[in-house]
Order: sequence, then structure tokens, then C-alpha cells
Amino acid sequence: MNYLIIGGGIAGTTAAEELRKHDPQADITLVSEEYHPLYSRVLLSHYIKGKIPRERVFLKKEQWYAQQRIEWLPGVIAQHLDPRNKFVGLSNGREYPYDKLLIATGAQVRSIEDDAKGVSYFRTLDDADHFLQLVMQHQGIQRGAVYGSGFIACEYINLFHHFNIPTTLVYRGNSFWNRILEPVCGELITRYISQQGVELHPNEEFRTILGEKELEGFTTNKQEYSAHILGIGIGIEPQFFWLKQAGVEVNLGIRANEYLETSVPDIFTAGDVAEFFDPIVGRQLSVGNWMNAMSQARVVAKNMIGIKTPFNLVSSYATNILGLEIIFVADVDKASADQIHFVGSFEQGGITQVFERNGQVVGGVMIGRNKDRAPVTQAIGHKHSWVQLQEELLF
Amino acid sequence: MPKIRVVVDPDLCIGAASCVTIAPETFQLNEENKAWVFDHGTEPNGHTYERWLEVTEEEKENIMLGAQSCPTLAIFIFDEEGTQLFPEL
Repeated sequence: MNYLIIGGGIAGTTAAEELRKHDPQADITLVSEEYHPLYSRVLLSHYIKGKIPRERVFLKKEQWYAQQRIEWLPGVIAQHLDPRNKFVGLSNGREYPYDKLLIATGAQVRSIEDDAKGVSYFRTLDDADHFLQLVMQHQGIQRGAVYGSGFIACEYINLFHHFNIPTTLVYRGNSFWNRILEPVCGELITRYISQQGVELHPNEEFRTILGEKELEGFTTNKQEYSAHILGIGIGIEPQFFWLKQAGVEVNLGIRANEYLETSVPDIFTAGDVAEFFDPIVGRQLSVGNWMNAMSQARVVAKNMIGIKTPFNLVSSYATNILGLEIIFVADVDKASADQIHFVGSFEQGGITQVFERNGQVVGGVMIGRNKDRAPVTQAIGHKHSWVQLQEELLF
Repeated sequence: MPKIRVVVDPDLCIGAASCVTIAPETFQLNEENKAWVFDHGTEPNGHTYERWLEVTEEEKENIMLGAQSCPTLAIFIFDEEGTQLFPEL
């Protein structure tokens, strides 16, 4: 059997490892855009803050791939798919045949058009190295700015805070995670960040950077800002034109059923790039977190070798902004919920927002209320209603 | 039965909960969103981030899987002789 995996992140690499466990004889090829062996993106902020040395971010050593007899192709991307003749054209100029193909390419960061030394992104180890270099170069004379109001913006706020760099936060909407949180939850977060000394500028749109080679600042539709480092956190987007061309059904992500099979036979997907049918919440979901990617990889490997296994997981993601814990569980799309319920309050400094659809709890966000995580997760897994969940929660 | 020492570094733990999903009998999150170490679902002598556990081979494998799934490598596993089984050195 010939397995071809496109994407060398946690989803692709875990799938390769699982396939090897199940099938010692198979040919396994792992195509990775990055040159590094697998590392944890989640550890990058720990590395930048000096909590761990750089070598500790790696989850696999270079020799691991050979030891596992996995043909690892670093620095290579897929460019063309021929599902009829079952091969993929790669950027190294070669065509690789497959019996089973896994697409686990994750997503790329959305970028601004301008670039200068001082503009920073936060996705890869190279990005982390670059950020650290910028901080070291500008020691003592910095102003940091962040454009965006999501997960990556939180990372930048924490990093600037760690290095005692005064921070300006500029974002397009009213608050954080506008498509997830109701205004009262957004206000709780922005008030907290503001109290910690971050300067907030909502409802502003980035225009252009200032400075020739080195960043001096930037402008928005409203004003001009001075900044030595500008962290961009405006979301991610998968790139799948080569899959679209080949007739693979895509929407926000690559469409897949609960077995992580795409619309094309023998082509599977997993991780951030997948838009899979989640049987627990009863709709197609795109989920961009570690737990989801790793768990899907284990399930997809089974399905690729023919052990039919549905993907069933209530996944979650936890972040922390300057000490305020925020946890997202399962389906947290406001537009897809019938009803939104709250536990706690702005005045209490902690709110849990619960998402209900068709009489079933499908998601939850806990802001400063970690204790609600377990009952909310269980309610989602057991398909309980809000009324049933209420009995479990401590108000 | 093998005896292992399971240690969570609370400074590295970010509450991703992968370990809880895989090995809920061994790991449960506390109010600070960090994973306490449990002994087969119980907490003899109270909350702790490290514990000696007597486990079957199967349980050991699953706890190892829980540790491997941690995105911040905050879980350390040692054998009876004190050799670090995970993360591999």
C-alpha cells in the first residue's frame, strides 16, 4: 500500500506514525512545506519567553523519519492533483502516485500587503525566531503594536507584556471574536486587557506601514501610530486551489464526512484544513486546534487502512490573555446557534457563554470561569439541553 | 505491574486538555486550568502535580499517549529506576 500525506504538521505527522504502526510494510511519504522536523506551534510562545530552550519545541528528530521508514520531503508543496490516475505533482518537479492520499496542509496566515523589518507574523518557528530577533534588536526603545483581535493577537499581547513593551492594539471590529462572542463577553475581555495597560483602538482598519526598510509605524483609516514591531493576527486561510481544480469539494475547508473522507474516493483530510461532519453537534465544522488535529490524524489513519472509524470528539482550545483564561469548546459559531445562554456576569468578572441548537448544547466559551469547562464539555458530549446543563453549573 | 512516576509541569501546562481526553483516569484539569495527576480516578493524599502510579502495561501505554499528545510537552514520565521515558532525551 502506498500512502501519500501532504502536510508535515501535527496532523500529517501523527497520521504517518499511526499508519506505520498499523502497516509495517507500507510505503509512506510525508510532504512538508517547512524544512524543520515536526515541532509544536503551541510551544513557540514558551520558547520566545525563554521558558524552554529552542530545541525543546521539536517533537521529532530528523532521524525519526528514516527510523520509521517514512519518506520525508521537507521544503516541498503539492501543486497538482490527478485523482483519476492517482498521483500528486509536487514543487520538487516529481509526481508521486498514491493508493490513499491525506490532505493535512493546515492553513496559511492572512498577511498585509506591505512588508518591512518590524512586521511580524506568528505561525512558524521561523516567525518565532524573527520575533525574538526584533525584540533583541530594539531593546529598551520599543513600542509594540498588534493588528487583530483573535488568538494570535492574544499571543502578541502576552509576548509584548513579557518583554515590558508598551502595546497598542488595533482591530477592525468592536471587540474580540465577534463571530463567537456576544458583546457582553467581548467587553469583559477588552475591559480586562485595558486595565492591564494595553491601549485599545477598536473599529479601525489598517492602511499602510510607515518607514522605508525598518518599521516606524503604521496608519489606519483614522490615525497614525508609532511602532517598532507590528504583530499581524488577522486570521488564517487554507490554500486549496489545486484541490478545487481536481474536483475535490471545498467550502471553508475541505469537505469531509465523519470518517474524514473527502468527496473524492481514496482522498482523506484532517486537521485545520478539514471541514468535517461532526456527529456530536450535527453539522460540518472547521476546527483549528491541536487536540482536533492530533485526534483526527489517529482516526483518519484507521480509515485509510480500512478500519471504518467515525471521528467523535468534543475538542477545545484554551488561551490566556495577561492572566485571563478563555476556553473554547466545540461549536462556537454564534450564527449557527438557535439560542445563547450565559452563566456569571460582567460584574463578577467571569462569563460562560453557552451555544444551543435544536435543544442541544453544542458549544461553550468560558471567560474567567474554568470550572464550567468540564460540565459544558460533558453536556455537549451527552447531547444535553441547556436546562439539563444548568443543574450542573455553579452560578 | 510497572510502577511509573507521572509529573506535570504547571508552568508549561496551558490546559489544552489533550491528556484529559486520552487518559481521564490519570489527568484532570483544576480551576487554574492545569492538569492534576490522579491515581486511577482518585486522589490519595489530595491534589498533586506528581505521583507514583502502579499501572498495567496497557494503562502505561495510554498514559504515555496522553503525555505524547500534550502540545507543550508538560507531562514527564519516569520508570522505577528514575529513567525519563517521556519526553525522550
